[in-house]
Amino acid sequence: MGTLIIVLTYIAYVFIVVVYTIKIVAWLKLPPHIRWDLYPVIHEENYRYGGSYYEQPEWWTKPRPRNTWRSLFYSLKDNFYMGEYFNRNRTYWLCLLPWHLGFIFIITFHILCFFAAVTMVGGLEITAGSPQLLGKGFYYLLLLTGGVAFVAGTFGSIGMPIVRLADRGLRTYSMPMNFFNYFFFLVVYGSGLFAWLMLDPTLEEYRAYWLGLITLTPPELHPLTVLHIVLFDIFLIYLPFTRSTHYITRILAYYFIRWDDEPNLPGGKMEKQIASLLERKVSWEGKHIPSGKSWAEAATESGLPETKKDTP
Amino acid sequence: MKKNFHIDDFTHPGGQVTELDPAELSPLPPPYDKREKPPIRKLTDEQSTRMDASLDGVVAIGLTPPKSPEEEKAFIDKFLAGIEKLFSTDDNWTFLQPLVHTLEYCVKCQICSDACPVYVSSGRQDIYRPTMRPELFRRIVSTYIKKEHPLLRKIKDSDIDLNWQTLARLGELAYRCTLCRRCAQVCPLSCDNALISREIRKVFSQQMGIAPKEIHEKGSVQQLRVGSSTGMTPAALRNILEFAEEEIEEKTGRKIKIPVDKKGADILLIHNAGEFIAWPENLEAFAIILDAAGVDWTLSTEIAGYDSVNYGVWYDDFQFARVAIRQSQAARALGVRKISLGECGHAHKAGIVVADRVLVGDLIIPRESSLPLLEEIVLSGRIKFDPSRNHFPVTLHDPCNMVRLMGIVEPQRRILRKICPQFREMTPHGVENYCCGGGSGFAITQSTNFPDWRNSVSGRMKMKQILEAFQDAPGPEVKKYVCAPCSNCKGQFRDMFEYYDVWEKSGILYGGLVELIVNAMADLKKPFIQWEWH
Repeated sequence: MGTLIIVLTYIAYVFIVVVYTIKIVAWLKLPPHIRWDLYPVIHEENYRYGGSYYEQPEWWTKPRPRNTWRSLFYSLKDNFYMGEYFNRNRTYWLCLLPWHLGFIFIITFHILCFFAAVTMVGGLEITAGSPQLLGKGFYYLLLLTGGVAFVAGTFGSIGMPIVRLADRGLRTYSMPMNFFNYFFFLVVYGSGLFAWLMLDPTLEEYRAYWLGLITLTPPELHPLTVLHIVLFDIFLIYLPFTRSTHYITRILAYYFIRWDDEPNLPGGKMEKQIASLLERKVSWEGKHIPSGKSWAEAATESGLPETKKDTP
Repeated sequence: MKKNFHIDDFTHPGGQVTELDPAELSPLPPPYDKREKPPIRKLTDEQSTRMDASLDGVVAIGLTPPKSPEEEKAFIDKFLAGIEKLFSTDDNWTFLQPLVHTLEYCVKCQICSDACPVYVSSGRQDIYRPTMRPELFRRIVSTYIKKEHPLLRKIKDSDIDLNWQTLARLGELAYRCTLCRRCAQVCPLSCDNALISREIRKVFSQQMGIAPKEIHEKGSVQQLRVGSSTGMTPAALRNILEFAEEEIEEKTGRKIKIPVDKKGADILLIHNAGEFIAWPENLEAFAIILDAAGVDWTLSTEIAGYDSVNYGVWYDDFQFARVAIRQSQAARALGVRKISLGECGHAHKAGIVVADRVLVGDLIIPRESSLPLLEEIVLSGRIKFDPSRNHFPVTLHDPCNMVRLMGIVEPQRRILRKICPQFREMTPHGVENYCCGGGSGFAITQSTNFPDWRNSVSGRMKMKQILEAFQDAPGPEVKKYVCAPCSNCKGQFRDMFEYYDVWEKSGILYGGLVELIVNAMADLKKPFIQWEWH
């Protein structure tokens, strides 16, 4: 059993990292698009009221200061706050935030477990009474992140289907998959919560599991802890099939769509990219579009008075 | 109590998906809380036979039902081929990334619904939720493009039964969104459901050749053929300018020659041609200000060079690019240093921002809004102002394209704070503003009963905001001014104020920003703003 969970855990982590990476790379490889910015753009100087560099006369002759740190902080902080939900649907937020915090904290907990295990190999004792400060620190940090993950995740997984069924709009747009997800996530977080509260209040078994993972030594664990770990591994494998990549793509969309205010200046990189896209052949069948010609030809030849075809 | 709506209701042939109930529309302040006539006229029997109105009883594009099953199949097949093209880099590099992102990552949390003025004003009709169009679109993709396994579709509830009427309703529904993008602004996942409306319009136009005739045939096609979407030829433009020069002299005593086709001028000013026809005082005011400030500027008589509108930005990438290119070519032919856009929101967004990634080489001519230029002139002291001449309540409408979609928020406000002592804001304003209700082509769409829908539903939130901004002086005895630095928004206000008898009941006039600037010029003998309804 110990060997099985070690293998399964490695497979799960490799799988999620690979599939997430493929999805993110595919997103990033989509071609540059027409500008479709939306204000406020947070890296802008006057972001507080939503102002842009277009507020200046002859903007192309002026500097365009960008505060990248501010925009990065803005985009990351919402993962922990979900301000729009707080402002617009408080009941939903009350379940949605714990549901998401459950995810964030359980991943953080596992990352911390990894580092804790590394230090344990180096001789660190991770207990409440550890003589080393770092050992004590890891102990309480693991307890905090693990505890929050299990409690918040369980609470969110119970609350989400209730809110979804109670709200007319959410109910209309709900699909069976939503409810499967809530149920499955409840089982994952709930099993963790049960194992923690009833069997392993100091999370000692978790540390042993992670020590076993990095030393490739199958650990001896209680069957219910094993059950939770197996469920969590399946959870990791399942996640890429959900919309969970939105933790990352929403930030990419801020930078590459919503806040993409980079002007196309003569001789710049953007101009070259656009020129190359304008060479692509189009196949639209509307009568006003010359199918089979390049984008540039379609945008300049047809529609003009001397060559205009019949309009639909 | 609203009946429970299910997405499948949308696909059932026959009947009407939603009946708009006047009693459910969001309330307006008195005296507009009581209406004697129904808000939306019913179609005549003849119109009902000719055009499909099975979405909500309203017609924007008015598709004619197919005559045979073969015709229906051909229609559906062609539409699906168009949807497929939206996912091709060749055909749709222009919006592929934002489209894919929205389709893949929208979690249908409905947080955008209450941000949508159409949905809220309609009494929260489910079909107007910003998520409705993407949901239908996603189902079509799942069932007919990706051809996902029936079991997977069951789990994802992504099945859809496609028939002609479903597509006719979807086409109409794409024209119930003003593309104001308030929904996108509040989306925590950066999804843009308004974009889906535009992409559906694109399939109808670029693939099927279907668009409201005011936008395509009489809009962008006419602009490229004649020079302006109004049908105004260069010769007619010259006549109008002569008339404007006479009017300027009559109103101000100044003899101003409006420069036309002046080679090597510093600025090519492009107005929305609607100003020439409906609101010549706007272009006159521009001429007075630029003349007084000593600006070296010109108008053009080239195709599209004297009409800043670019309706393609609402429905068709190619029509959009064609107009943008012609406008740049007009500037290049004159050898101007830059293009400045007059008071037109969508022309700002289209000409300055969206065109940015269509223009290459010597077509990249610097383009800017006229508002910062006007601000510079007003605040520089080059012209003397007497703000007491504007001593009446003024509020500012923020055109979505200019403000939320390109971040020009403060220049117009700094001007108004200087020259209008009774300036007050609407709530909310700036980048959180509400659309006038005429966005994305609605203001010019006049077919059948669509204007009724526009005035009573899509413009309703703005109507309420305006009335609330003037709640300290609600009666007609105090004349009030809604400053709308956008020709399309003014068109909507003209129609909507007439629809509600606003001039008679509340004494509210609408107009541009430059008219207020000229009205406050200290050395003018007579007021420039004429308090007459037109």
